[in-house]
Amino acid sequence: MTISRFLGKAVLYLAAFSAVFPMVWTAINAFKNRVDIVTPTPLFIFTPTLDNFAYVLGRESVAAGLVNSLLSAGGSVLIGALLGLPAAYAIARYPNRWSADIQFFVLSLRFLPPVAVAIPLMVIWLDLGFYDTRLSLIVTYTLLTLATVIWLGVPAFARVPKEVEEAARVDGYGPYAVFLLIALPIASRSLIGAVAFAFVLVWNEFLIALMLTTSDAKTLPIVASELTQLGRDVPWGILNASVVLLSIPPLLLIGILSGLLNNAFRRKSN
Amino acid sequence: MKTRNSLPAVFLAPPLAILAVLAFVPTAYAIYISFRNRELSRPDGSFVGLQNYLDLFSDRRFLNAVGVSLTWEVVTVTLTLVVAIGLGILLFEFASSRMRAVMTLLFLVPVILPRVSAAFVWKFAFHPLYGIVTYPYKAITGQPLDLLSSPATALMTVALVDVWQWGLFFAVIVLKLLETLPPQPFEAARLDHARSFEIYAYIAIPMLKAPLISLAFIKMIESLRAFDLIYVMTRGGPGIATETLDMYAFSQGFIESGRISYASSMAVLMMVATTVIFTVIWKRVKP
Repeated sequence: MTISRFLGKAVLYLAAFSAVFPMVWTAINAFKNRVDIVTPTPLFIFTPTLDNFAYVLGRESVAAGLVNSLLSAGGSVLIGALLGLPAAYAIARYPNRWSADIQFFVLSLRFLPPVAVAIPLMVIWLDLGFYDTRLSLIVTYTLLTLATVIWLGVPAFARVPKEVEEAARVDGYGPYAVFLLIALPIASRSLIGAVAFAFVLVWNEFLIALMLTTSDAKTLPIVASELTQLGRDVPWGILNASVVLLSIPPLLLIGILSGLLNNAFRRKSN
Repeated sequence: MKTRNSLPAVFLAPPLAILAVLAFVPTAYAIYISFRNRELSRPDGSFVGLQNYLDLFSDRRFLNAVGVSLTWEVVTVTLTLVVAIGLGILLFEFASSRMRAVMTLLFLVPVILPRVSAAFVWKFAFHPLYGIVTYPYKAITGQPLDLLSSPATALMTVALVDVWQWGLFFAVIVLKLLETLPPQPFEAARLDHARSFEIYAYIAIPMLKAPLISLAFIKMIESLRAFDLIYVMTRGGPGIATETLDMYAFSQGFIESGRISYASSMAVLMMVATTVIFTVIWKRVKP
């Protein structure tokens, strides 16, 4: 029994190691000079340098990509939350004969292959003269954020105890006040998780941004991927630094997202 | 006493209208331009009927891409579920509650990373000269190991990254699912001297059949989004060994020839196939 226990734990530790080591190794390389990366044997001891980060942060394309990413992700998440949270509440609390169809429609948007949306949208934005603008990215991403917020918001609102809302109604609250002052604050923890998830989805999005932008509105993933395609004298340190930079915002949200996961399963078991 | 409540209409109409416009306009437009011969360099183009669709079926590169995409779906979905169930059971069986909490957080790291980051991190790890994964092979044999440049291994190497991201994440979900099961069947089986593996194979997994099928379904949808990994790691190469449908549609419509109409006809076929298949599966899975 102890042998299987030992083996089982060993596999788990190995999996946990594989989960974080590649990113850790990338972060280590981001502090290396090129000569310390391009070695026949991987180096663990070296003189660290901040040059890579200084170079990446000083580059105009990276700064512009960061601004574009923040604005397009922020804008679309804001619209997604402002319109999606009320919609999720209405679906959760006022079921009607279309509720199931509405939920299926929202889910089925995820079935669309991104390339199938991106190609026609590229043509549409070109024809309208909005190609390669943040506006076109925000509008396109709203499809993603709105659907995600509605999909994750419905169960969050459904978990709010009905009695609390009824008590508020008895106290003279109107339906809108019940939503704003009662349901929204009670469900806020799960809702923050849903909004954070939508943000990560859009922040990480690549294909649509690649097809809808060429220079002005390029987001950070596109800028980073262009750096990774550089030719012969690959500036590995700079690459590693830009990948680290790109990965920081989603990793900062990992606590909120794992909370969302815990909430979703904890309630189901009762 | 019950007055007519305007809230559902006010809250639902605008977002649903926006979603409908954002989803149906591109879809309709994709169908429209797939019947024309529009190219990026020429803004107009004329009606060509089903020509683009007919061309697809004699296009070897398209047929190759269909094969690569199908292989990708089967391999990533299967491996992800195998890894997830295996690690989920190990977590449930051997990890204390504190260890579970720590592991849960660590297992979520890969899937939260931008796909571009994950792709680059592994591309560098697999680098034949400086990669940390290929280093042991190089040190022992003296030969560099170039997995991403060989047609035989490139697709599987990219698939490994996808399974790394999703398998670990789903392992956490499998653990949470196991935690929701009632303990009595397990205890009864233990009293009957069932072995651990028998308990999971004959009791736990069958009890979780419905959620596991849902997980497989989610992974099938998410596996359609292979583009980022493949674009950064291989660009569809070597040759066309890792060229999936979205990669081929992208290169037809964007990089090589700007044949938007031709790429659209591919996109429409993908859209029809996935929507039909997933709708059928969804209606069957959900009671």
